[in-house]
Amino acid sequence: MSRQPEEPIFNRIEELRIEKGLSRQQLADAVGVHYQTVGYLERGEYNPSLSLALKISKELQTSVGEIFSLTPFRKVRNNA
Amino acid sequence: MPRRNKIYWFEGVTEKGVKSLLNDENSKFRWLRSQRNRRVLVVLMSLGLILTASGSYWTSIKKELNLNSEVEIIVFSIAAIFVLFSVVGGYSFLRISVRGLADAPDELLDERQIQVRNTSFRYAYLVMGYIVLILMLLMIVGPRLELFGSDGPDGSFLLISVMFIFASLPSMILAWREKDI
Repeated sequence: MSRQPEEPIFNRIEELRIEKGLSRQQLADAVGVHYQTVGYLERGEYNPSLSLALKISKELQTSVGEIFSLTPFRKVRNNA
Repeated sequence: MPRRNKIYWFEGVTEKGVKSLLNDENSKFRWLRSQRNRRVLVVLMSLGLILTASGSYWTSIKKELNLNSEVEIIVFSIAAIFVLFSVVGGYSFLRISVRGLADAPDELLDERQIQVRNTSFRYAYLVMGYIVLILMLLMIVGPRLELFGSDGPDGSFLLISVMFIFASLPSMILAWREKDI
């Protein structure tokens, strides 16, 4: 069986990181990766392993399902 | 008590050295890390390696140029030193431009870095396979077809070039493929 081309996984890491007031470096240090890797994750150019996804979820205090999705997230307009 | 600097003998690097490169501690090399500059470096390095390999044809070149023995030694020495220093310098810059990812041990890298490093090694292995295949074919077919003549190439520069290709190919592939963040 051949490997299927990788399905895109959408995420809200950047949005949630900014909400928490964390820099890329701070999030990277907290989950044990290089700050560049956080950048690649945010741009959807790298899909994390399950363990990294769980660490990110713990750090951002949000469930994995709310951070990652197989369908694009709806953009929430902040009218406040 | 300060922690000892662990040496990774197999990779030929130290823990502090790898961490310093990974964490961009030396900011004066930041200009090297843009994708455009990395790609320029890969092209220059490739040219340097081709020039090093072409040193094998020095015996034919000096006949063409009709140089006397003293001038020949001076020209050869200057050219050889210049090309070798360029290749060694290029190799060092290349390593810095990709933060030494190609030579870093797994335990100092994160999962994405390990993945891109492994992919670059896979491509490097394929490219090296083709290079070795071409060299083997030349060795077998060359003398039969009299491709090299009686004063054929001296293999030492070709060997030096192939050694540098072995060492730098994973970094060259990484430098070419990694996107800017």
